[in-house]
Amino acid sequence: MEDTKYNNSLIRMWRVWRTTKEMMNERGYLVVEDDMTISLEDFARRYAREDGEPDRSRLNFSCQPSEEMLVKYTPAPTKKDPNPQPAIGTIWVEFNSDENVGLKQLRDYMGHLLNGSFYSGIMVTVKPMTGMAIRLLRGATGMSDGPKGGVEVFVEQDLLVNITKHELVPKHVLLSAREKAQLLERYRLKETQLPRIQSTDPVAKFLGLRRGAVVKIIRKSETAGRYASYRWVI
Amino acid sequence: MQPKSILKKTTVPTNGAPGTKPVNQRHLHVALHHANLIEQRKRVEAEVLDSIMTLMDYPTAPDADPKRPTPADAQFFRDAIIPFQPSDYDALIEERNIADKCGYALCPRPKKKARSTAKKQFIDTEYGVEIVDKKVLEVWCSDDCAKRALYVKVQLDEEPAWMRQGGHGDKLELMVDNAADLHKTLPLRLKKEAAVEKSKDDEDDIEDAWAARDDAMQDLAVERGEKPDQVSKANNELVRDQITERTPSDVPPQPPTLPSQSLEHTMAIEGHVPRHDRRAEEDEEEDDLQDWEKHLPG
Ligand SMILES: [Zn+2]
Repeated sequence: MEDTKYNNSLIRMWRVWRTTKEMMNERGYLVVEDDMTISLEDFARRYAREDGEPDRSRLNFSCQPSEEMLVKYTPAPTKKDPNPQPAIGTIWVEFNSDENVGLKQLRDYMGHLLNGSFYSGIMVTVKPMTGMAIRLLRGATGMSDGPKGGVEVFVEQDLLVNITKHELVPKHVLLSAREKAQLLERYRLKETQLPRIQSTDPVAKFLGLRRGAVVKIIRKSETAGRYASYRWVI
Repeated sequence: MQPKSILKKTTVPTNGAPGTKPVNQRHLHVALHHANLIEQRKRVEAEVLDSIMTLMDYPTAPDADPKRPTPADAQFFRDAIIPFQPSDYDALIEERNIADKCGYALCPRPKKKARSTAKKQFIDTEYGVEIVDKKVLEVWCSDDCAKRALYVKVQLDEEPAWMRQGGHGDKLELMVDNAADLHKTLPLRLKKEAAVEKSKDDEDDIEDAWAARDDAMQDLAVERGEKPDQVSKANNELVRDQITERTPSDVPPQPPTLPSQSLEHTMAIEGHVPRHDRRAEEDEEEDDLQDWEKHLPG
């Protein structure tokens, strides 16, 4: 086994980092193909410290939304706001190396996002955050002390594998404001009449689906080939 | 012309089940009650989070003495933790520790740092070397702070603040060495700072105030149709807003000690039992050791 010359913690981090890059790509951010397919060897050369442990501080990166993503995240124009701006922007992804993450780190991170004028952020932690930090996170979305687009937190463990690549997980596609309006029009529905999906659902969390959005879920079926259903994110 | 009612006619369904309306009313009340509880819970949780974020950076002065907090710090700490459950208090300690601070909110010192990253640590005490969990070692700066912090924790109400009936423990005490200083400022918050010495007049004023309040309570009771000697609906004991202080004495403040060694586990702070007055036992052990050595050959 060639892998044995690398630390387990480095191999784990290599998987986590690749999954994170894939996640950003699936959400619609611009990601370099090579980052998603980086070999363990290259990863070790770029991000391992001398003692063989991963240097998390060098893994941080930012991402720009693609044109397609900008369109998807632009709210429908209204009389009041005929030219709405996309509700998405540059995101900062940070890999925290602290053994324990609490209010201190979360507040520091939120401050960093604001200072760097990032639209939103993702913090990846070694272990789950403290209960109080989670409480702050829940209340912080849209609050004045955090970035506009909010902060998401993932534990490294959750990113070891890309769940959307699992064969039993159907494809989830976010609808744009226009597509959503068309869907509701076609079936003469109110969004509240659609089946729901929690924003904490693992796939919804992976794709960063926000409350109020509608997602199209495409399944393979033996009888019907493929069929789509729609869910409203709550 | 006959006056006509402007009120809408209430339509009573003739075949409607009797009591339909009260049942609906009851459902409405239950729903409202739950909605209120959720609302209050949210409010309390946000309040606790806010307090923890403030208390993370306490005390306000970097050279503060946890034994003798400033009246303002002591007051804020005590008021802020009234809605805390013990688990919230643990969360405060956890957050302070993550920020490398001693777990006791009135202490500005850093938490003790273990000398190595090993899970079990050898520490020197006045009784010799002890083996302690690293986690336990890194919570406080000293055993003294551990005692003061625990003294507060045991007074906290297990009941969530949004479920507490008829007020809650507003008599939280801190373990301080300057109770006299705090006593002057705390119960008389409205008084000017200048009134350092509590004069006779002041005390009379306070008594008058209490008497006036009792009169008012009695009037209120009569107004509510309660008999004077009956237990009031608005029970005095529940709404009294008096802050009790430890009265100063020559004896240094004692943690709630238990003489019996068998009951020691109740003294454990995060699993660690602070040593107190165990010299006698220690002597005994030494004797044993010597006895045993005597039996060695040569
Ligand atoms: Zn301390």
